[in-house]
Amino acid sequence: MTLELSNVTLTYARRGRAPLSPVVGASLRLEPGQIVGLVGESGCGKSSLGRLAVGLVAPTSGTVVLNGRNLSVVGPRARPLVDLKLQMVFQNAAGSLNPLRRVGSQIADGMRRTQPKSTHRKKAIAILERLGMPGSIVDSYPGQLSGGQRQRVAIARALAPDPEILVLDEPLASLDASAQAQVANLLQDLAVRDGLGMLLISHDLSVVKHVADRVLVMYLGLVVEDSAARELWEKPLHPYTEALIRSAPSTETNRVLPPPLPGEVGDPAHPPPGCRFHPRCPYVFDRCTTESPKLTFVSGGRQVSCWLRSSREITPAAVPAPLVED
Amino acid sequence: MIGSRSTPVISVQNLVVKIPTSEGFSTIVDGVDFEIQGGRVFGIAGESGSGKTISMRALLGLLPDGCVVTGKAIFDGRNLLELGPSALQRIRGRALALVQQDPTTTFHPMLSIEQQMTDHLRYHLGLSRPDARSRALQLLREMRIPDPAGALAAYPHQFSGGMLQRIAIASAISCEPKVLIADEPTTGLDVTVQAGVLKLLDDLRRERDLTIVLITHDLGVMAAMADTIAVLYAGRVAETGTTEQVLTKTRHPYTKALLDALPKSESSQRKLTPIPGTAATAGDPPPGCAFHPRCRFARGSCSVNKPALLKAEEGHFHACTVDPFYSAV
Repeated sequence: MTLELSNVTLTYARRGRAPLSPVVGASLRLEPGQIVGLVGESGCGKSSLGRLAVGLVAPTSGTVVLNGRNLSVVGPRARPLVDLKLQMVFQNAAGSLNPLRRVGSQIADGMRRTQPKSTHRKKAIAILERLGMPGSIVDSYPGQLSGGQRQRVAIARALAPDPEILVLDEPLASLDASAQAQVANLLQDLAVRDGLGMLLISHDLSVVKHVADRVLVMYLGLVVEDSAARELWEKPLHPYTEALIRSAPSTETNRVLPPPLPGEVGDPAHPPPGCRFHPRCPYVFDRCTTESPKLTFVSGGRQVSCWLRSSREITPAAVPAPLVED
Repeated sequence: MIGSRSTPVISVQNLVVKIPTSEGFSTIVDGVDFEIQGGRVFGIAGESGSGKTISMRALLGLLPDGCVVTGKAIFDGRNLLELGPSALQRIRGRALALVQQDPTTTFHPMLSIEQQMTDHLRYHLGLSRPDARSRALQLLREMRIPDPAGALAAYPHQFSGGMLQRIAIASAISCEPKVLIADEPTTGLDVTVQAGVLKLLDDLRRERDLTIVLITHDLGVMAAMADTIAVLYAGRVAETGTTEQVLTKTRHPYTKALLDALPKSESSQRKLTPIPGTAATAGDPPPGCAFHPRCRFARGSCSVNKPALLKAEEGHFHACTVDPFYSAV
C-alpha cells in the first residue's frame, strides 16, 4: 500500500481578507516499512499536510492517491472499507480518550466495522501487549494510566483496524524524555517488524532524526528540504534546517546558548516575496528577495528549495559552530 | 565560579511540603536543601511529579490551602516560610518574580497589555498612571518587542507565544526583582523561538545582576543556561552541583538514566534508551531510595534506607549509597 501526495495545495478563502494557504505545492510518498518525518515550527503547515494525507480535508489542487486511487474526502460511514488501512493519531492524543469509557472498549472502536464482536477483547489485549503494556489495562480507565501509557492507548486505537499506513501528529509532544524514548522505539519497531509505513509529524528534529528514514522540513507552507534523515542531520542543506539544528540546546555542551534566529515566522496569508525564508536567512542575496526557489534535486536523492544550495551540485555547507557566550 | 559569593541569595534548608489528601497528608517535597547564589542561574531539574514546581511555590506562598510547610527559606535575612500573607504580597512581584510556562494563561485575555503591565508597577512602586505607562513602554523596547506602543494597546491573543513570553518576562522584571523564578519558561515554544527567550533571560541576568531560578525537565536547556543544578526525583534531591559536575561527572543513576534517554547527535544506533518502569510520584514513593525499582544498580539495602546526600567532591552531592559511577582516578 502506498500513499502519494503530488503537488498538493490547500487554500482557504476568507471573506474580506486575503486567502490563506497553509500548504503550497507539497509532495511526499509513504511506503510500507518506511518512516517519513515531517518537521517544522508553528505555522509551517505540517498538521494541515497531515490532515490532507488522510483525507480529512480535500486539497484545493494536486492529488492524494492511496494505492492508485484518489483518496476520497467523505464522512466516516461513507469511507470505503479499504481506506481503513490508513489511520491517524492526532495531536494531544491522550486527551482524545474518553475518561468515562474503559480502554478496551475505546480500542475496539476501530474494529466494529470489520471484525466480529467476539474477537474484540482478545485483539485489544494483543495490541496493548504489542505496545509494551500489560493486557490487564484493557479494563482500566484512561485516568488510571500515566501520560506515556495514554499516548500508547491512543496509538492502539489507530492500530485496531490493522492499518498499513499511519499518520501521527506530534505523538511525543506531551511525554517526558523516557516515555518519548519508549514510544519512539515502538514506532520504529512497528515499521521494521510489522511493515507499517508512517508519517511522523513533529517539531522536535532531534528525536525525529533518530526514528525516521527520511525527513521533510517545512517552512511557511512549503517543503524546503527533503533528505535521508542522517544526511539531513549531518549536512543540512537549507539554511532553515541549519537554524533548526543549531537552535536546539544540547547536554553535550555546557553554558553555550544556541544562537537565536532573527525575526519571526510572519503571516502565512502575506508571505514575503521571493523565498519565504529570505528575511531571516544569513546567506540572503539578490535573487532570494524576488524569485521563489523550487524544490530541486541535488546530490544523492536530496531535494532543497534554496538558490544558494541548489545551484551547487555537491558539497552542502557543514553546520557552523555555535556562538560561545561569556 | 561557585564560592565567589559566600552568602547565597536564597538558602533553602530541609524544606518539607505536605498536601492534604482524602487519606491524610502526602509528602510532596521531602527534605530538600539548596543554596541559590546571586547573579547566577540555579536550575531545578525534574520530571512531572518530582516536586520541583511545588518547592518554588512554597517559597512564594502560593500553595493550596491546608498544606503544611516546614523548614527554612532564608531570603533577605527572613524566613519566607514564616511570613504572613501581607508580607509575602509585598515581596511577590517585587523582590521575587515569577514567569511560568504558557504565557497565554499568564495574562487575562480581556485586558490590554498596558493594563496588565501597569497594574503592579502602580501597586508595588506607587507610580502614577502616565509614569507606569512610560516605564512599561521602555521595558518593551528593551525586550526588543517591535512597535512597543502598539503592543501596549493590544490584547494577549494578538501575539505569538514567543512574543507573549517576552512580554511576560518584561512584566516580571518591571519592579526590578532580585530573583526571577522561571518555571518551564520555554516549554511549548518552538526551538528557534526558545533560543531567543533564553538569550533574553541570560542578557537580563548579566545586565541587571539578576538571580534566576530555572525550573525545567529539559536537560538541554539546563545545560545551556544553568550554573548550578539540583536534580529532583519524587520530592527529594538526587544530585546537585555545578552544571559541569552534574552533566559530565554524573554520579546518581537517575541523572545518568535521564541523560541516556535523550537522543544524541552522534549515534550509530537508532534505538533510544528509556528508563524502565514509571516515574515515582512525590507523595507516594517506594520505600528506601525512591528510584530503586527502576535502577539497574539497586541492591538489597536500597529498598530499606532513604539515602542521605553524600559528597562527591567540593560542591557536588548525590544521594546514592551504591555510587556505581565513582572512579578512584
